Amino acid sequence: MPHITYRDPNGRTHVVEVAVGLTVMEGARDNDIPGILADCGGACACSTCHVYVDPAWVERLPPQGEMEADMLEFACEPDPVRSRLTCQLRVTADMDGLVVTIPAEQA
Amino acid sequence: MTTTEIATSSIDIFSDEVLQDPYPHYAALREEGAVVYLPRNDLWALTRYRTIRDALENSSVFSSQRVAFNDDMNRALAGTSLATDAPDHRQLRKTLLAPLTPRALKSIEDDIGSKADRLVDDLVARGSFDAIGDLARAFPLQVVSDMIGVQGVARENILRWGEAAFNVLGPMNQRSVENFPVAGELFQWCKTVRQEDLVEGSLGHGIFESAKRGEIAPESCGAIIHQYVAAGMDTTITSIGNAIAHFAAFPDQYARLAADPSLVRSAFNETLRYEPPVNLFGRHVKSDIEVEGTLIPAGAQAAVLFAAGNRDPRHYDDPDTYRIDRDPADHLAFGYGIHTCAGQGLARIEALAILSACARRVRSFRVGEGQRQINNMTRGLSSLPVLEIRAK
Ligand code: HEM
Ligand code: FES
Repeated sequence: MPHITYRDPNGRTHVVEVAVGLTVMEGARDNDIPGILADCGGACACSTCHVYVDPAWVERLPPQGEMEADMLEFACEPDPVRSRLTCQLRVTADMDGLVVTIPAEQA
Repeated sequence: MTTTEIATSSIDIFSDEVLQDPYPHYAALREEGAVVYLPRNDLWALTRYRTIRDALENSSVFSSQRVAFNDDMNRALAGTSLATDAPDHRQLRKTLLAPLTPRALKSIEDDIGSKADRLVDDLVARGSFDAIGDLARAFPLQVVSDMIGVQGVARENILRWGEAAFNVLGPMNQRSVENFPVAGELFQWCKTVRQEDLVEGSLGHGIFESAKRGEIAPESCGAIIHQYVAAGMDTTITSIGNAIAHFAAFPDQYARLAADPSLVRSAFNETLRYEPPVNLFGRHVKSDIEVEGTLIPAGAQAAVLFAAGNRDPRHYDDPDTYRIDRDPADHLAFGYGIHTCAGQGLARIEALAILSACARRVRSFRVGEGQRQINNMTRGLSSLPVLEIRAK
């Protein structure tokens, strides 16, 4: 299973295995990692599953869809390059080693 | 194509009999097939969780040009976010959504919380009250009217208008016909409301400011306010009423919530799964499509049965059991895909505020017999007397 590293808002680092096919949001939820609220359950309707992707990974992830791009504008302090919504990132084998940082605030 | 025989059912999904107690009928349809043709309604019902999610994701075939089940309403809704397809939908939704995101609502969240606390304090002091009229209706009416800045006579009409707005989405049965004039009053009011009718500093007032700044078309102001009232009122009311009804029907579940009010988020999701406020919406099928072996022909209308999908045993374990710790955040009560409910952030803030105010103050309560409210589209109660309360 791919390993994903989440840096939580308290400065702690969690390295967990997330099954291919789940989303990066579901990986955080299933491992009780704090800071990803995911109010809407992954429907791309709340922007509370926002993270900053490690710069080395930005280009390696699938591009944002229209809905994700629109919802990112409503996230807290989005970064034009590094911000993603984790419910829209479906884990694939080549995401092994992905590093994301969870912002201090989601709303 | 490997099209097999088409599953059909002779029920009328908008009849009093079905609306009184729809779940056994939905279960029968779901077992009949993922897609069931209903000759009496001339609709293709989508009944299973996965089928529904896939259809909602496939909005280029399952178009929103016919979300309502009669032509007059589909015409009236033309140009709203709800009834518009891609690509025009994107900008309409963005405008509507901007004031409804969790970030945008943060500034009023505390105020909504204190309003909830005051209302529940007052009801607990009274000892007996109606959970629908005095709580489920009273609270969103206050929050949403204050938010939009509605005052005076319009405020007194909002509840009637909100309920009618859903009835008229059904087919042209007696219920729709009777409700058209009432729904018409809301359209008329939205068309004629002026900025000075709305309280300064309110969201409604602000929409007119955006129009003055040229950010939105002046004629959009009324349409946006219409969606807040028509889409946001009866739904939220119904969800809160249903939650109280579920707590009353399953006292062991309420006892767990009272012991640990942090379960309220999960409990609200379970209420939305168990009895979604809106049973279904329509879709216009733009081109022939095969779904689970059934060919749905171009030009047909599909009925997306959120309420049937939410009880699909293929997706939820023991789906007819209400469990507040299930946390089914992937329920279909808000739809899915590009039209997924734009107001869910607000609905959630309102419901969690009022339900957690209850859970923090009330140890247990006893209710009398509730009255079902029959509506073409929604499932809720018109009254539920609370007879006795044991405060904490
Ligand atoms: C518990 C309460 C609510 C429920 C169950 C609910 C349910 C739904 C559903 C099922 C849809 C999807 C319709 C479709 O796919 O055709 C929807 C869309 C929508 N809802 Fe809600 N709703 C609720 C509260 C609200 C509130 C409070 C507002 C606004 C203040 C609102 C505004 C909207 C709008 C504008 C849309 C259309 C979005 C689009 O087309 O992009 N809703 N709602
Ligand atoms: S979980 Fe709501 S946008 Fe990702």
